Amino acid sequence: MIARVSYILRSLVFVVFALILCSIVFQIAGYSASLVLTNVADGAFLRPGALAQSLRWALPLFITAVGVGISFRAGFFNIGAQGQFYVGSICAAFVPEWLSGAPAYIVIPACMLAGMAGGAFWAFWPGYLRIRSGTDEVITTLMGNFMAGLLLVYVTSGPLKDPSGSGQQASSRPLEAAYRISTSSGLSVTIIAIAVVVGLAMWLLVNRTTFGMLASLAGRNPVMVRWQGALLWKLGITSFLLSGALAGLAGAIELMGPNGRIASGFLPAHGFTAILIALVANFSVAGTAITALFFGGLASAALYLPVMAGLPSAAIDVINAAIALFITARSKLLDKILRVGGRSS
Amino acid sequence: MTDPHAPALQCQNVSVTYGPVTALNAVSTTFGAGLIHAVVGQNGAGKTTFARVASGLVAPTAGHVAIGSRIMRGGNVAQARAAGVELVHQSFALPPSFTVAEAMEFGATGTGRFFTRRSLFARWRPHLESLDISVDLGARIRDLPVESQQGIEIARALVTQAKVLILDEPTAVLSPSGIEKLFERVRRLKAQGVTVLLILHKIREVLAVADTVTVLRAGRLVDGPLMTTDVDGARLSRLIIGEASRGFAAADEQALTGAGTVEHTSTVGEAATATPVLKLSNITTFVDQEGPALQDVDFHVRPGEIVGVAGVEGNGQRTLVRLIADFARASRGEVHLAGQNISTQSLAQRRSKGLRIIPFERNTEGLSLTSSLWENWTARALLEKPLLRLVNPARLRSECDAALKAWGVRYDNVAQKAGALSGGNAQKVILSREIDPDAKLIIAAQPTRGLDIGATAFVWDALRKARDRGCGIILISSDLDELFDISDRVVVMLAGRVAGTFTAPYDINAVGAAMIGVS
Repeated sequence: MIARVSYILRSLVFVVFALILCSIVFQIAGYSASLVLTNVADGAFLRPGALAQSLRWALPLFITAVGVGISFRAGFFNIGAQGQFYVGSICAAFVPEWLSGAPAYIVIPACMLAGMAGGAFWAFWPGYLRIRSGTDEVITTLMGNFMAGLLLVYVTSGPLKDPSGSGQQASSRPLEAAYRISTSSGLSVTIIAIAVVVGLAMWLLVNRTTFGMLASLAGRNPVMVRWQGALLWKLGITSFLLSGALAGLAGAIELMGPNGRIASGFLPAHGFTAILIALVANFSVAGTAITALFFGGLASAALYLPVMAGLPSAAIDVINAAIALFITARSKLLDKILRVGGRSS
Repeated sequence: MTDPHAPALQCQNVSVTYGPVTALNAVSTTFGAGLIHAVVGQNGAGKTTFARVASGLVAPTAGHVAIGSRIMRGGNVAQARAAGVELVHQSFALPPSFTVAEAMEFGATGTGRFFTRRSLFARWRPHLESLDISVDLGARIRDLPVESQQGIEIARALVTQAKVLILDEPTAVLSPSGIEKLFERVRRLKAQGVTVLLILHKIREVLAVADTVTVLRAGRLVDGPLMTTDVDGARLSRLIIGEASRGFAAADEQALTGAGTVEHTSTVGEAATATPVLKLSNITTFVDQEGPALQDVDFHVRPGEIVGVAGVEGNGQRTLVRLIADFARASRGEVHLAGQNISTQSLAQRRSKGLRIIPFERNTEGLSLTSSLWENWTARALLEKPLLRLVNPARLRSECDAALKAWGVRYDNVAQKAGALSGGNAQKVILSREIDPDAKLIIAAQPTRGLDIGATAFVWDALRKARDRGCGIILISSDLDELFDISDRVVVMLAGRVAGTFTAPYDINAVGAAMIGVS
């Protein structure tokens, strides 16, 4: 427990480092760093109504990030969350078309299931290739992202094309209001409930089941678990399917919730931010919840900055990138710096 | 002849620390020129570190090493080699895909030209012949038996006119006759004026070959160099073991230090008629990735019996374990566990029928070093349950705590990473996991490798207790003293076949002959 808390605290130190780095970048670019950072804080959490907006972004990110954490824990670097999110949203988008007119209590769950199935499928084939023939899942899932992006372009300008669309961005026909689970503001009891259920179920799965324990053991040392008689392919494929299904579920939520439709290239950073969240949280479910809120806040501030403060929203990209940089570097150099600092103090 | 009183190698207050571990503690000693010196001690006594400091591979944290009359800078292999010190490593460092001639050329000094096969042969054949090493110069290193590989390592070390040759545990990989050949070679080197330092851990070998013996224990110099004519096995044994020696049975003490031939008294009584707990009938396997295929192996273990598997490493011992663990596939024959044909069953099913494995590689196959003790310990129990069963970590932790305490593991808390434990403690964690009341057949693959004497004796006791309870045990070891001390029967493997079966009292020469295929 203490180890975990100290881990999260150390991750926070890296976030602070990242913000310092960003301040330098902002200063060089000619902006007042303190002005940018206070506006980011305002936009994310401090101004009235900011928390609701941050949650709108945080909840889908949380669901995807929990899934990413599950596959990373098991030792599989599924970086295809973005593609699984897209395929999930595409599959979900077909459901209201086919079931048009059916009651919402059928369409909404069907939509969610279709999203999960789509995401799971988009994680299945890289998982299968990895387990069957050792194909590097980093490559296949990354390629899967591009394929899913193109599939989204096809679907939104083909089968699901909105004829009244502006032509600027191909998108699907808007969902009927009855099938929406939130307004465009993006926060509703349903979405919160889904996130809570997912969070609790996955926490239980990861920390309190034989699967969760064996999968994380296998992630750290597959050889040892194999000598204990585990079937690694079973643990592996289950982890892949779960992580894909959660990304797909987030896709379905974005479709039925804030977006109300899918559009080509929509939310292009969703999956990658989720990976970042999972890494910062060290794949713990509870940690993911907190971290997702933070990154949800940043996403929300990205919209707030140009409108309210006249600052470039790219500031958020800089912050995200800096955090990614420090988190991936933490195991080496910075850890050493921290340890030396800790010893001398 | 070199003056035996002139020092060839001197250590002045040499200490080496690795992080918090003190591997050598203020060791001062002098080795006279032209003699064969043995350095002995149990695992962890600092022998290998000593060899590395002396050869310039490791810099001492305090003190210094002098060769002849020159003080070495420390941590500088080139300087040590220039002064005439060569080290032959415990695990050989020859490139496996090279031919003998290429391996000899590799690392040798003085040529920057193009090579032809013929020029390499011409250069190295006389050298190898002068050392009486007869190998095909075109053979690949990986295809050679360990004795020949070691011969080539020694030949390579002697390319530059070495004055001091250090061999780190050269006997560990050899059969008894291979050891005899090595000793002859060493004596011949001595006759040529080379000072030889042998790192050994068997008293029998020390007394057979060395002129002086130096004993290390826990990083300190206990005594030496003593003339071997002035000491006997019993005294050396006490020096090596130290205070702990009082607790050991005489046979165990002899086996632990390699002081003499062990008299094993078989305890197998009615077991001879019982249904074998493991029976391999006429097994032939497909080619395995980790060793030779098994050929026509008939093998059985009865309940309450320890069957030792002897053999030079790489003769199918790994394949045998992998076959029983369902990692290697049989092309013919059947595997029976406790009377049932398990040939087509998975490892999980076999484990549920009482198969337990203490694997060869403690730190990869046996434990996940980056995982907590309790996760490592519960892995076996978890795998007996379906994948979606709820577990209670708090209860598992307290069960693990109780089990590890009962096995005398020294640790802070069960959330500690397994990698923080010493080798002996890590092995105890594996024992506590694999030797449970439901165990019927326990495979112990090199269970004492790298362990100190106390931990080794602990492992033996644990295996004996399991045998007395009725478990069948397969003990795979490259240490014949260990096998003879605790096995009720010894099976020798050679090139994937069973080359002989022996019962107590064991004849080391007969077993040794079977290990290399001489009958």
